[in-house]
Amino acid sequence: MICCIYPREGFSISSKKTVKNVPCVFCGCLCDDIALEVENNRIVKNINGCSLSKSKFLNHLEDRLLGPAVRINGILVEVSLEKAVAHAAEALTSARRPLIYGLSSTENDTHQEAYYLAELLGGVVDNTSSVCHGTSMIGSQESGDPLGSLAEVRHRADLVVYWGSNPQFAHPRHISRYIRQPGEYMQNPKKDRKIWVFDVRSTATSRIADEFFQIEPGTDLEVISVIRALVRGHEMDIDRVGGLAIEDLAKISEAMKSVRYGVFFYGLGLTQSKGQHRNVDAAIRLIQDLNSFTKWVMIPMRGHFNVAGANETSTWQTGYPFAVDYSRGYPRYQPGEYSAVDLIRRRETDVLLNVAADPVAHFPRDALEHLKRIPIINLDPKRNVTSLIAEVNIPTAIAGIECDGAAVRMDGLPLYLRKIVEPPEGIIPDRDVLKLIIARLRMVTKR
Amino acid sequence: MSDGIVLRNGLVFDPANGINGEKMDLCISDGRIVEKEGAGAKSIDLKGRIVLPGGVDLHSHIVGSKMSLARAISPDYHRLDPVPRTKSTRSGVGYTVPSSYVIGYRYSSMGYTTVIEPAMQALKALACWEELSNLSNLNTGLMPMFGNSMLTFHYVRDDDLNGLAGYLAWVLRAVGGFGVKAVNPGGTYAWAHRRNIRTLDMEVPDWEITPREITRMLCKAVELLGLPHTLHLHPNNLGCVGNIETTLVQLEALRDIRGHAGRKQIVHLPHMSFESLGMVDNGSPVWNDVQSGGCQLAEYYNKNEHFTVDLGQITMGPAMTMTADGPFQFSLYKMTRGKWASSTVDVELPGGGGIVPYEYRPSSPANSVQWAIALEFALSIDDLWRCAISTDSPNGGPFSKYPLVISWLMSKKQREAWIRRLHPLVLERSIISELDREWDLYEVAITTRAAPARILGFSMKGHLGIGADADIAILDSKTEDTDLSKKPNRIIRLFERTYQTYLGGQKVAQKGKVLTTPYGHVSTIHPVLDESDWNRMEKELEPLMNSWYSHSFCNYSVPERYRLPFERKSILDATAISL
Repeated sequence: MICCIYPREGFSISSKKTVKNVPCVFCGCLCDDIALEVENNRIVKNINGCSLSKSKFLNHLEDRLLGPAVRINGILVEVSLEKAVAHAAEALTSARRPLIYGLSSTENDTHQEAYYLAELLGGVVDNTSSVCHGTSMIGSQESGDPLGSLAEVRHRADLVVYWGSNPQFAHPRHISRYIRQPGEYMQNPKKDRKIWVFDVRSTATSRIADEFFQIEPGTDLEVISVIRALVRGHEMDIDRVGGLAIEDLAKISEAMKSVRYGVFFYGLGLTQSKGQHRNVDAAIRLIQDLNSFTKWVMIPMRGHFNVAGANETSTWQTGYPFAVDYSRGYPRYQPGEYSAVDLIRRRETDVLLNVAADPVAHFPRDALEHLKRIPIINLDPKRNVTSLIAEVNIPTAIAGIECDGAAVRMDGLPLYLRKIVEPPEGIIPDRDVLKLIIARLRMVTKR
Repeated sequence: MSDGIVLRNGLVFDPANGINGEKMDLCISDGRIVEKEGAGAKSIDLKGRIVLPGGVDLHSHIVGSKMSLARAISPDYHRLDPVPRTKSTRSGVGYTVPSSYVIGYRYSSMGYTTVIEPAMQALKALACWEELSNLSNLNTGLMPMFGNSMLTFHYVRDDDLNGLAGYLAWVLRAVGGFGVKAVNPGGTYAWAHRRNIRTLDMEVPDWEITPREITRMLCKAVELLGLPHTLHLHPNNLGCVGNIETTLVQLEALRDIRGHAGRKQIVHLPHMSFESLGMVDNGSPVWNDVQSGGCQLAEYYNKNEHFTVDLGQITMGPAMTMTADGPFQFSLYKMTRGKWASSTVDVELPGGGGIVPYEYRPSSPANSVQWAIALEFALSIDDLWRCAISTDSPNGGPFSKYPLVISWLMSKKQREAWIRRLHPLVLERSIISELDREWDLYEVAITTRAAPARILGFSMKGHLGIGADADIAILDSKTEDTDLSKKPNRIIRLFERTYQTYLGGQKVAQKGKVLTTPYGHVSTIHPVLDESDWNRMEKELEPLMNSWYSHSFCNYSVPERYRLPFERKSILDATAISL
């Protein structure tokens, strides 16, 4: 298999252009100030993007899956799109408990097709938030969600907390674009805006923070609960919690009450460590309590560029943000029961349709054991670990580079993604592949 | 298109054309009501069933990020009302915040054909348009909010009315808006400072302007542009006992503004039940001292013609409160101590709105008094053409409770039955039990069809005259359905499920079942300014937006791709105004 495709012959040298204000399709920041230089249908320069953005845009033609392929006698054989679609539809119709998973690294129209397909199949549809910020959703279902927005943070926040999150590594422009920039009511952010980091170890972010509070692993819930108790004026009868002295926590809680506008950014260190949704729930309750004293908001540090969109589209169509089961003909929601890893671990899933994710690379070992045994239909632009064991691979166009669409930023802002270059020959967006599968499915079931 | 349909022998109530229960035939062709039936038109004998124009709801939250947020935090609600897929419809959930498809189906089976989303965050309009592509069976329109935008404040502070009008026009075009909404002007902004602004002349922090100035200027700008719908104003101090005084002051503050092209109305007051909370004499603004302000507003309404109203009737039972009034929502959360969600929006809603699940309980003295407010108002006003039925869905209760609301308005017997279930304070703090008036079908047709369409400025909706959109609701009534006021349960049944609902001439629902799921249109207003004025706006807004927002100016507008399939654009010639 060839791993890298170069532009087809015949492009004239004059096909050179610069596209400005392009939303970056890497992380949940969706920075939309990227300028791209395009030559011969190939992106050659990314201006303003961070290192992650540069690698995504500049390498968009690397490691591509070339054409649809179906595994025959254990070997992936290139076939026509029509054949691959027919094979996929066949596998899905014969499944008893199909699972559609992924969706976070593609655009919103694809999600809508995926839900429709899941509904027709009576299957389950889940997005990658079930292994990242799904717990944040569950926390908000307990308590609510005092959500902030990024320009408001830049204009007004005088205290920025990063809890269990390392933006310098995972969201490289988060701090330079929103936190260190002056805002309308924050002219000197370097001096007047404080950054606090709570984490279990020193990180690239903690090293540039004004304060770093190192807590013991797995104690987030206790530490947040104690801060909350102190905010509410309770006295503690212990000296330390999570490695921090109560006097220090008292100072922290006083400072949090006395700022003008605080923001609490939180990452997987909070959502996926011991306590999971209880941690987020406690953080939400803390922020709600702080609003009795001053203004506080919180924003989850979403990873994939459109994982927030996957939650939103799922919510407006089904009522639920992830882990939705259609087996009874209406949407049901139960993380732990209908979430992808749990279904696969229990060996319920008998066909997996993966859309724009790489579950084989990221799921736990016992889930992998089962994934190796079942047919996987893989829709992704690139060669990834899932594609190596898939039964059907259908390569797709990269959303936001080779096809347009909409995505949602970590704070809920929707942005329109641009088509910058043509996809490689014969390759279509994943929404169109799903439409073909749906059409094929309807034909089969009608018969 | 086909040769059309003739609906024969309907008992037609069409107040806009003065038709009050006349037996007649209606001809439909190409989605419109026409004069003569085409050769080969399909004839349907209605056997004397009641025929109304399709329902028009001018204030119901159906799309947008606050709906998504409310849905996301409420799996406990959704589980109570799963909606399975059928051959013709998609699955979803119902209850207080239904999923997108289910909203369309439920409205459709109740005979509603047009619903306006009254609180769109302009910045997040793209998501609304996407969501509308998953909401069939309804015509809609989106009203962006301007009451707390820093850009509005910028023009108000400079006392630049033309600039403000230009900004409104620019946003309406960019995002596909229908009208101009303001929520707690200045007050939600102040919430970014953890404050509220409860009176008209208190200064907005950072800006040295007041809610009075913001409201007046927005109102003037809407009239200057000549938008078909007036300023849609959720006033300051909402949800606070005694706020009827603030509401009257705010209405009074606009009274002298001249309407566009001689129209008398210049402001719409939505969900009046929330802003007509009275206070007992020598009381204090606490819930123990609440009394109905419905009569007080009715008295003012009967004397002054410059505003229109919708009810925001409280329906008892579960609801989902959601407003762009952050401080109000927080105070509600402090009372309930349940869930509280909120979200700030860059530049346009700095303090942020809020969402609090709430249950109105008949045993609660305050909720019981609140229940009486809108009814007291509706039964005391003279001119129903300025009044529309709403529950501010889902704030006062979901829109699916409209049949119950109609039964309260049509039947004293029904009100008495409900008063017996409510807290006795309702008798002491309102005059609801003394009101004998009962609306008839004609009056219901005015306030659910003709009046809301007229208030919105729709000439093709809310009536069944020649040329109107063939949006029609046929009730499954029998000839013996007279004297409905004695049979409240019959009223509910009639309005709960129509016999047939037509959208654009297409039969979409029958006996509560949705048959087909065509998409209605999304009405937008497209103001056309003089070219130099438009250039001025672009030149001014680009640097302001680039410096204030966290995304780029050129990514603000909703691309055509999302709008084209649904948009019904009304070109508004505003070239005569000079910026």
